[in-house]
Amino acid sequence: MSGYNIFVLVKQVPDQGSKAGINPDGTIDRARAKRMLNPFDRYALQAALHTKKSYGGTVTAISMGPPPAVEVLLETLEHGVDRGFLLSDKRLAASDTLATAYALYKTVNFAGKFDIIFCGLQTTDGDTAQVGPQLAERLGLPQITYCEDFGIEDGKVHARRIIEGGVQKVITEMPVLVTVANSYHPLEYKSFRGAWRVQQLARKQEELRQFIKTIDLDVIGADTDRCGLKGSPTIVAATEKVGEIGGSCQMHEGHAPDELVAEVIKATTIREFMVAKK
Amino acid sequence: MSEPESEPLAVSPFCPKGEVLVVAEHILGELQPVTLELLGAGRILADKMGRSLLCIVMGENLGDIPQKMIEYGADTVFVADHPELKCYRTLPYRRVVCDFLESLSEPPHTTLLGSTTTGRDLAPRIAAHFDTGLTADCTELDIGPYEHKAKADPAKIGLYPNCLYAIRPSFGESLKARILGPWKNPQMATTRPGVMVPNKPDANKKGKIVKIPVNLQPDDLRLVVAETIREMDKGIKLTDAEVIVSGGYGLGTADGFNLVRDLAACFDNAAIGASRKVVDLGWIPYHNQVGQTGKTVRPKLYIACGISGAIQHRVGMSKSDTIIAINKDPDAPIFKFAHHGIVGDVYQIIPEMIKQLKEKKVARGVEAVVGSH
Repeated sequence: MSGYNIFVLVKQVPDQGSKAGINPDGTIDRARAKRMLNPFDRYALQAALHTKKSYGGTVTAISMGPPPAVEVLLETLEHGVDRGFLLSDKRLAASDTLATAYALYKTVNFAGKFDIIFCGLQTTDGDTAQVGPQLAERLGLPQITYCEDFGIEDGKVHARRIIEGGVQKVITEMPVLVTVANSYHPLEYKSFRGAWRVQQLARKQEELRQFIKTIDLDVIGADTDRCGLKGSPTIVAATEKVGEIGGSCQMHEGHAPDELVAEVIKATTIREFMVAKK
Repeated sequence: MSEPESEPLAVSPFCPKGEVLVVAEHILGELQPVTLELLGAGRILADKMGRSLLCIVMGENLGDIPQKMIEYGADTVFVADHPELKCYRTLPYRRVVCDFLESLSEPPHTTLLGSTTTGRDLAPRIAAHFDTGLTADCTELDIGPYEHKAKADPAKIGLYPNCLYAIRPSFGESLKARILGPWKNPQMATTRPGVMVPNKPDANKKGKIVKIPVNLQPDDLRLVVAETIREMDKGIKLTDAEVIVSGGYGLGTADGFNLVRDLAACFDNAAIGASRKVVDLGWIPYHNQVGQTGKTVRPKLYIACGISGAIQHRVGMSKSDTIIAINKDPDAPIFKFAHHGIVGDVYQIIPEMIKQLKEKKVARGVEAVVGSH
């Protein structure tokens, strides 16, 4: 037996830490914004690689996005992922979570047999945590969301997931979809060799294509009515600026730290909350 | 918003009928507060449309929970009682809710769940099953009209007099987005615990309790819960703390939280909070996160250390009684809504604050003695 077929779903998101591409009115120019691997997906990637290392198998990374999203697939390759698929198609524009889950469902089926699908808990640009469970529904799979520990014993998955005010230990069979919480182990640094190999690959498009395949909706046989704007039941009907409560903040600046702190302590009730000392 | 000269649109045939449904949540029989909040929000939506408020409760031996749902606003409570439902699991709960929705002659107009680890696990499964829209982590819910004119999808064109307005902050922007999907039933939304306000319970309120069938399939039982561990004793809960000291990206490193902890240790009943960015970076666990995708808090005192004050953070803490913000960027958005802003380096300000708080204690004692003479 050749081990487990492990899939990991990753997404490229705008880097919120960078000021590039942030318009003066606060909206985002996604074309100019700095791009990065969704931070939550780093935990999913770690879970996938750790599972491969511990129990054997291959890791396939899957992403959906415009052509630059290939960057995040290259990044997963550097960390030790075996192959990647990028679903890229203009008809996917304006997909909400339901349409995204449908497109990923078709992509996963196209990518072949799998035992475990790891996803990040959520993305930092959408923040919904919906696509993982929606994909599991399409695939008819059991799911483990908010997973913070994952292992396989006697062919069964043993995992720990976060619940409100506690944790739950669960056991299930494969195939299964897992969304990984950020209390899972952080992603290990990529090896120099891995990074070097991928850098070499990236120079030769022909060879790279053996590892990362870019596919579109026709290739995966998706119903285009269920993708993009058309396949999205929700729309953003209106946006409004959040009112600023400007002017009410009493600013303390320009003095030495001890003076600034003294001003604030004097002006507020901060001392009332202090630990009572005998 | 329609212009007076434009032709009035015909009411769309997709216009949702049905009632408002709340999916209740409990952990081993312990009702989750978000359920009461959803009943409060759901009651307002139902009353606006003159419809009734339904609630579905799943579990085993639920005791007085169904009655409580009525006291908090539900008109009809549907109870699914089954040993396999004792503990929340995705597939059995999904089966019961989907079967129940399919059994109704008219699907609900709106279905609400909490944005908890349970609600965020269950809601997307139901939404995907019915191919309907779901809006996560709403900060406001409302009912209102919508005229759909987009030519791209002519079938949907029309007037929708009663739409669910699911309102949430949009990514990285100081904007609130109103999200709609009235052409699909049910319209679904989740809200964070602490955001909506429960009704005062009314012991005289009348309502119906209806048992519903549970038909689980063998496939629904593929996952078993081996153990549920409650972590009650892990310090003071963020939502219960009087004082919250929060750290953000301005701390520079994960070690910066030691400083935050030191400051928090000066206070009684204090907890540590964090912005999303530093949770994403793994500097501090998720359960410390304050904001739209974290906890919503209303402490008496909130001290934000090196937090810029993005909208996602703000919606989770702006209702704190007193907000003190420390940030070296005088243009940081947090200074737009904090009560006191200190422009400075957290590594200078926090140690100074700790020092003065400890000193002041003594100084005040001396003053008091002097004053009594």
